[in-house]
Amino acid sequence: MTSPLESTALFHLGPVPITGAVLVTWAIMALLVGGGLIVRLRLSPRPGRVQAVAELLVDVMDDQIRETMRVAPPRYRAFIGTLFVFILTANWSSLVPGVEPPTAKLETDAALALLVFLSVIWFGVRAGGVGGYLASFSTPNPVMIPLNVIESVTRSFSLLVRLFGNVMSGVFVIGIVLSLAGLLVPIPLMALDLLTGAVQAYIFAVLAMVFIAETVGEAGHVSAKNEDRS
Amino acid sequence: MTIDWWTLAIQTINVLILVWLLARFFWRPVAAMIEERRQTAARILDDAEKKRAEAEAAEKAVAETRAGFAAERDTLLEAARAEAESLHRKRLAEADRDAAARIAKAEAAARDAHQAEERAWFDRAGDLALSIAGRLAGRLDPAVIAAAFLDGLVAEIARLPDAAKAAAALPEAELELVSAAPLGPALAETAQQRLREALGTTAALNLRVDAALIAGFELHGPHFVVGNNWREDLARIGQELRHDRRS
Repeated sequence: MTSPLESTALFHLGPVPITGAVLVTWAIMALLVGGGLIVRLRLSPRPGRVQAVAELLVDVMDDQIRETMRVAPPRYRAFIGTLFVFILTANWSSLVPGVEPPTAKLETDAALALLVFLSVIWFGVRAGGVGGYLASFSTPNPVMIPLNVIESVTRSFSLLVRLFGNVMSGVFVIGIVLSLAGLLVPIPLMALDLLTGAVQAYIFAVLAMVFIAETVGEAGHVSAKNEDRS
Repeated sequence: MTIDWWTLAIQTINVLILVWLLARFFWRPVAAMIEERRQTAARILDDAEKKRAEAEAAEKAVAETRAGFAAERDTLLEAARAEAESLHRKRLAEADRDAAARIAKAEAAARDAHQAEERAWFDRAGDLALSIAGRLAGRLDPAVIAAAFLDGLVAEIARLPDAAKAAAALPEAELELVSAAPLGPALAETAQQRLREALGTTAALNLRVDAALIAGFELHGPHFVVGNNWREDLARIGQELRHDRRS
């Protein structure tokens, strides 16, 4: 049994090593984009079952963004929604025999956390400009600037660690149990892993919304205050 | 623990691409379809609300029209009732007038008939009285009757105005004595004598017989007629009777 902390390259594209997580990620991307295309091509004013599920997903996502971030959903829907759908699909990909979820690998979770970190900057700058975003670190007072800077990094790191720890541990435990017991024994643990995967996807998306909303709110507030002064 | 930076970069790019692809092919189209359906539903609801308002307005107009019909019907009924009442009263009044006219006409006719009958009976009574009087007079002595009526005639002449008596006393005055029955010579002479004395004249009186007098005399002078006979008496009695009945 290989260590879950290590990524083994299956093959190389030039100097670039292609790991199993990348391949599974590509498969998930193909699945999601293909499903999205199917839904897109079948969009109708009178929705079928697939379209109804898709619209339910969009509605739920919009409601979550509206309730959590207190902003209009369209600007954030694609990023938050894709994070949730991708992490959920990646977590549940462990149900496919022989497939290790990409979120069980540190690089994938780090990439997701990095994107959240960058999106906070991106949306903060869009909401309050560069000055407004940077000024958001000085709230509630400039003394808090070092702590706010550290917090912006550590909270993204916490995302990484939380998702990686939960998914990796689930896969690791199932692997251990599977190696020790029969074929049917890990099934309860796999069911629990499904629940854990859904909860972790939800937590990751909600925390991403909270981080973005916090920065957007503070940057927008500082920007508005500066405009009032000018 | 080591991190494969290549894998980190590839996964970051992968997720970014996935975000872009899903935004383009899933999130935006589905959200647009939801919004389109929401707008369609809102438009349909607005149209339905508009049509409902129109239907309510039409219903209200129909109700008002019906109320107008009812009011108009009530007005027409009231007018017809009033007209019928007026016509009824008019007919009643006309009937009353017609009945009153008919009654009055009948009463007048009855009264006329009664009067005519009364006159006829009166005439018959008068004729009967004349007949009775004539028969009674026929049973009496004509000389005695003539003497009695002659006395009355003289008394009547005495009550004449002096002017009339003076005119009768003139020599050219024509005097005529009308008797109910022919006078005998003696009675004629007596009558002539007494009347000349009463009138103060010497002229002879013309004698004439008129049975209509029944009994008695009648003297015709230049400007007067003096009578004392039963025809005048009966006529006077009849007038008095009619006068008494009317009063």
